Amino acid sequence: MKTAAVNKKVRSRRSLSRNDRFTLSAFVGIPTLLQVVFLWGPTLITVVLSFTYWNGINVGDIKWAGFANYKNIFFGSPVFYDALKNNVVWLLWFTFIATPLGILLAYQFDRKIKGHQIYETIFYIPVVLSLAIIGIIWNFMLQPGGFVQGIMGRDIGNAISIWGNYDINSYVIMALASWRHIGYIMLLYLAGLKAFDSSLREASAIDGATEWQTFRKIIFPTMRPVNVIILVITIIDSLRAFDLVYIIYGTSTAWPLLNILAFQNFAGQGISMKGAAYSVIALVLCVVPILVYLRNVFKEDLQ
Amino acid sequence: MSDVNNGISRRSVLKGAAIGGAGLVAGGSLLAGCGKKQVTGDVHFTIRGNLSDAGAKIAIAANDAYTAKTGNKVISQAVNSDDFQNNFVQILQGTPDDAFGWMAGWRTNARADAGLLADVSEQVKALGSSLSAAAIQGATNPSDGKQYIIPTTYYPWGLHYRKSTMQELGLNPESIATWDDLIKLCEATQKKGLVGYALGDKGGWEAMGTFDILNMRLNGYQFHIDLLNGKEQWTDAKVVEVFNHMGELIPFMNKNVLDISWDGMRDLLLQKKCGAMMMGSWFANDFLAKSQADYDDLWIVPFPEINPEHGIDSIDAPLDGISVAANGKNVEGGADLAGFLGSKEGIDAAVAAGDTSIYISSDFDTSTYDAFNKQKLAVLGAAKNIGFFLDRDTRGDFAGPVVGPAIQSFLKNPKDLTKILESTQAQWDALPAL
Repeated sequence: MKTAAVNKKVRSRRSLSRNDRFTLSAFVGIPTLLQVVFLWGPTLITVVLSFTYWNGINVGDIKWAGFANYKNIFFGSPVFYDALKNNVVWLLWFTFIATPLGILLAYQFDRKIKGHQIYETIFYIPVVLSLAIIGIIWNFMLQPGGFVQGIMGRDIGNAISIWGNYDINSYVIMALASWRHIGYIMLLYLAGLKAFDSSLREASAIDGATEWQTFRKIIFPTMRPVNVIILVITIIDSLRAFDLVYIIYGTSTAWPLLNILAFQNFAGQGISMKGAAYSVIALVLCVVPILVYLRNVFKEDLQ
Repeated sequence: MSDVNNGISRRSVLKGAAIGGAGLVAGGSLLAGCGKKQVTGDVHFTIRGNLSDAGAKIAIAANDAYTAKTGNKVISQAVNSDDFQNNFVQILQGTPDDAFGWMAGWRTNARADAGLLADVSEQVKALGSSLSAAAIQGATNPSDGKQYIIPTTYYPWGLHYRKSTMQELGLNPESIATWDDLIKLCEATQKKGLVGYALGDKGGWEAMGTFDILNMRLNGYQFHIDLLNGKEQWTDAKVVEVFNHMGELIPFMNKNVLDISWDGMRDLLLQKKCGAMMMGSWFANDFLAKSQADYDDLWIVPFPEINPEHGIDSIDAPLDGISVAANGKNVEGGADLAGFLGSKEGIDAAVAAGDTSIYISSDFDTSTYDAFNKQKLAVLGAAKNIGFFLDRDTRGDFAGPVVGPAIQSFLKNPKDLTKILESTQAQWDALPAL
């Protein structure tokens, strides 16, 4: 046992020729360098800038602001809490409605119900569209003067208020985002289920487990790696949401999200580092829960 | 990024310019009546909008006239207007076109202070008495007394309506003189099943026009400008009064104010679905593009008096013009083109191409204006104080990110007014010094 391990180690070291080492360092080094220069660099700069006052023009004008931008956001900008609320609603909706629906669909289609390929295709099609395109399509359909309004015989003057109606617009936006998310999750889960050992399912059936028990006690725990990916995707997709809403509302913060506020303050007509602070808040919200979760998962795996 | 002169390689453009330049030297002595040194070289020009727009065709026609006069080639590209405005600072810091259509006020002055725009005082001086003192004043950066924009056109914000619609309703908006008259007009329009006071504020800026005029009518021009520059408080009872008046108009508005943008408002009027609409007259080009009959049917009157102390002495009349990028490749050429576009020759070329704007230059013969343009002049003439519109009269990091959402929140929930105004003032107070 011990010698085998030693042999393996020696062999693997020997097998890395000069050329290999060069290729490897190029393959790992160059992307890492690009990543550091174009991603980590700007991220760190954004974090630093979020503690300054600056109009984005002359570097000499940068003034230290301490926590002023954050104070302004947390205590002076009610729109921040609207945005936070919308992001949280998005996250909850995705976690408790869209994602479970995707898993449910995958589970049903995996049982090869009649015509499942047709259903799969139907649910998969929205996934090939980006959220920006989905925004353009549905804005075109639902806005005053749009297709759906036209079918219902509504002209601009008496069009049904959708984007400006705060009783329903959140649900409409959630529905549009889910249209894509459900198919996406379905696809991921279906791929996982294909690799699922069907003898486990048969065994549980022989033991007299109900469908629900089989799913909850056998399938779901076995699918853990896929579940982790899906959870991470769900959290990131909810917190980085931007394009769909930007297409519909532009930089006006009629339906604010953290990233829309960041964009409005950072790239709009009046540049302020409040935008950098919004970005940092979004980053922390995005990264921290995922890091915590992944750490727990890996710790359990090690045990 | 479509090059208007597509099909011509860069090399041939340069060659053409060289030949044009040589020809100019030969003919220079004939042209050089004013004794100025001749500017040469290609000039790059940004058109804000789509190439298919009426405005782009007008700009190209005027640029062609410049080429015909000087032999300097103008290479125009059309850029989406919103994108250009949003990325303005980044564009100017990169490799911008030499000249572009722009807007006077904060948007020019703040960028000039940052060294991004070129001084065009010399060109403004060359235009001489064709520019009124007020126009020069409006184009002047208060921090250094120089001009960074050559003012060319302007337009009034007022109550627009269709003459035919009002006739059918048996109403005459020209006779409204007071706030009560306006409310009665809205009531009467609404009773006939039309929208009384059309408004769209999805873009977040459209309702600023209504806010501006109410504030100027109720509290006067000086208070309005002081408020936008932090010398007055948003929590002041006078500002509350402005929003209360806006609140009185809400029942007459279309029920989907936050669903439509300015183009939705335009369509409401175009499709005869509304009575009066508070808007800047620039959209009239779209009426003309639709049909001459639609354009002839369009009319504008000043917003009525509310407070007799201020009468109708103020108006929003944004000043548009041509600015020159400090980082352009041919700053001199850009400034020369800008000067040309502000002169009689440039204006004549634009008008020949179908521009319905009203021009600032007194060299332009106003007797050729159509009826609508004459009415625009009359509306402007009734006012002695000119505002530039909220998002040009105050800081860019205040107008869009703070005032826009505040007015939207009010239109959504008028009852929250106190909270909204307190927050607006708090956000002004939190702005860093410029």
